[in-house]
Amino acid sequence: MLKRKNKEDIAFDGVNYFLLTIILFATLYPFYYLLITSFNSGSDSLLGGSYFWPSDYTLENYSTFFTQKKWLIAFFVSVMRTVIGAVTGVFFTCLVAYGLSHRYLVFKNFYFVVVIFAMYFSGGLIPYYVVLRSLGLLNTFGVYIIPSLLNTFFLLIAISFFREIPSDLKESAYIDGANELTIFYKIILPVSKPLMATMALFLGVGQWNSWLDASYFVRNENLRTLTYRMIEIINKSEVPRESIAQAAGASDVTSYSLQVTAMVVSIVPIICVYPFLQKYFVHGIMLGAVKE
Amino acid sequence: MKISASNANMNLINQSSVWKRFKKQKILHMFVWMGIMFLLVFSYTPMFGILMAFKDYSIVTGIKGIFTSDWVGFQYFKEFYNDYKFYEIVRNTLVLSILKVIFTFPVPIIFAIMLNEVKNMAFKRIVQTASYLPHFISWVVVLGLSFTFFSSNVGLVNDLLISWGWIEKPIPLLTSASHFWGLAIGTAMWKEAGWWAIIFLAAIAGISPALYEAAQIDGAGRIARIWYITLPGIKGTVVVVLILTIGSILGGGLVGSNFEQAFLFGNASNNSTSEIVQTYAFKVGLAQGRYSYAAAIDLVQSVISVILIFSANYTAKRVSGSSLF
Repeated sequence: MLKRKNKEDIAFDGVNYFLLTIILFATLYPFYYLLITSFNSGSDSLLGGSYFWPSDYTLENYSTFFTQKKWLIAFFVSVMRTVIGAVTGVFFTCLVAYGLSHRYLVFKNFYFVVVIFAMYFSGGLIPYYVVLRSLGLLNTFGVYIIPSLLNTFFLLIAISFFREIPSDLKESAYIDGANELTIFYKIILPVSKPLMATMALFLGVGQWNSWLDASYFVRNENLRTLTYRMIEIINKSEVPRESIAQAAGASDVTSYSLQVTAMVVSIVPIICVYPFLQKYFVHGIMLGAVKE
Repeated sequence: MKISASNANMNLINQSSVWKRFKKQKILHMFVWMGIMFLLVFSYTPMFGILMAFKDYSIVTGIKGIFTSDWVGFQYFKEFYNDYKFYEIVRNTLVLSILKVIFTFPVPIIFAIMLNEVKNMAFKRIVQTASYLPHFISWVVVLGLSFTFFSSNVGLVNDLLISWGWIEKPIPLLTSASHFWGLAIGTAMWKEAGWWAIIFLAAIAGISPALYEAAQIDGAGRIARIWYITLPGIKGTVVVVLILTIGSILGGGLVGSNFEQAFLFGNASNNSTSEIVQTYAFKVGLAQGRYSYAAAIDLVQSVISVILIFSANYTAKRVSGSSLF
């Protein structure tokens, strides 16, 4: 069927495509600008004027970033908390979810009330801090991992996922003499790979991006994360251009170019997992938010 | 009679078998109790910790001190009311939250409708995919980006405006009190609008195409179709999201992140507009060590939030028939 475009259609489409193109540009250009600035020499970036490609191309920012001990440690801590936090979070949340997914579990309703209530109400940051302090978690690597072992949002998703697994699978294992732990390991986890991948991605992104705990719950300089170091350098940066240039001295790497490089290093992993994240999250957000 | 007798019988069997079933499921219960213990420690203990707002609590007494320290009643709430910053931070919290909701709530809806009108699937997918990328980026990086673009020293925007001759001196967007609210709204919109559009796009996808075809045959143009079919079609979703937004308005509504923004973008120069209840409580507690006072400040905000969500839900139920609970 041939649809004739009338004047309204043409005008509407024109305005619509124009506005969406601007939105697209406004979303992506900041990332692109960071990228070219990170490949531009620090002193040249301070002069401004490089909008679409680096005018003084250099790899020095990256070589400085990956040789300074402070940044290397921060990068390493961020990677470690992301990997360990995601793996332990997925495992623990799945374990609890498996227990709760049993249809005829005694006290099931009570357990669910405990979980749902905790999902909607919180004591606030101050009492939470007191709890962390009393547990001796402050100033340890554990403060990144242990409080995020259980994620109630993914707990509910995992429960509904486990309920979909055919019970024949479990029953045949029972008959063969397997106990619950073996069933969890050998049957439930292997068939739940898509679920676990999604959870790991989201928990990992959360860990990678989190900054409050790294700023206020640790004091040991060797436990600082990439996000903390970025806040630190950005807060120091609001000084006139001339003094940034002076502080940099003979080197072409300035605190500003180092900051931009750190930001690129922090964004790249997110962009790498983005296609995978995207595959799953539409379903995830719908599950939690839309009621029909 | 027969039925009730057999029911009673069943109850008896059930009761006697609860213990048996429990024993049979004991490993499952072990799994569950690990989770319950976790929630008791990291969710429920802090909830009891709210008590410290009414007590003369000292941090050295640990968790036990929450229960054993002396009651002081509403002393800290009165102190907060008399705090010299009280008026300012309450105003900032309310103004920031309300402005943010007014300006950011319609954006994802409009964006979703605009995307829905695009016939070129490749273009639509590119725009949509790009639009929710910022959601996954840390607020710290957004702070860095704002610095790169808006700072008065190295900021791209100021550079361009000066070189085009539009302004003479750089505008201190990041370090002036009068620009903080605009900055917060703008960055929140940039970061979250694309993400929240997903929900409205899904709602639009649920509208029957037959309605559009019928309207087209009747001579309705593009705008008329949006106004009379798309908007009524997503009304239910909009109401649900609006309730959620109003319930969380003090945290920034749909786009959230009042705390993150006030904390990260706040500095000595814009403190008079950027300090909000939550950041003030956090600083009073962690930097000055006045835990009871901080907990009291925090509690004021939580209580207002709970009242807001219940009244928003009630109003929505009365006005439109849709509600959350």
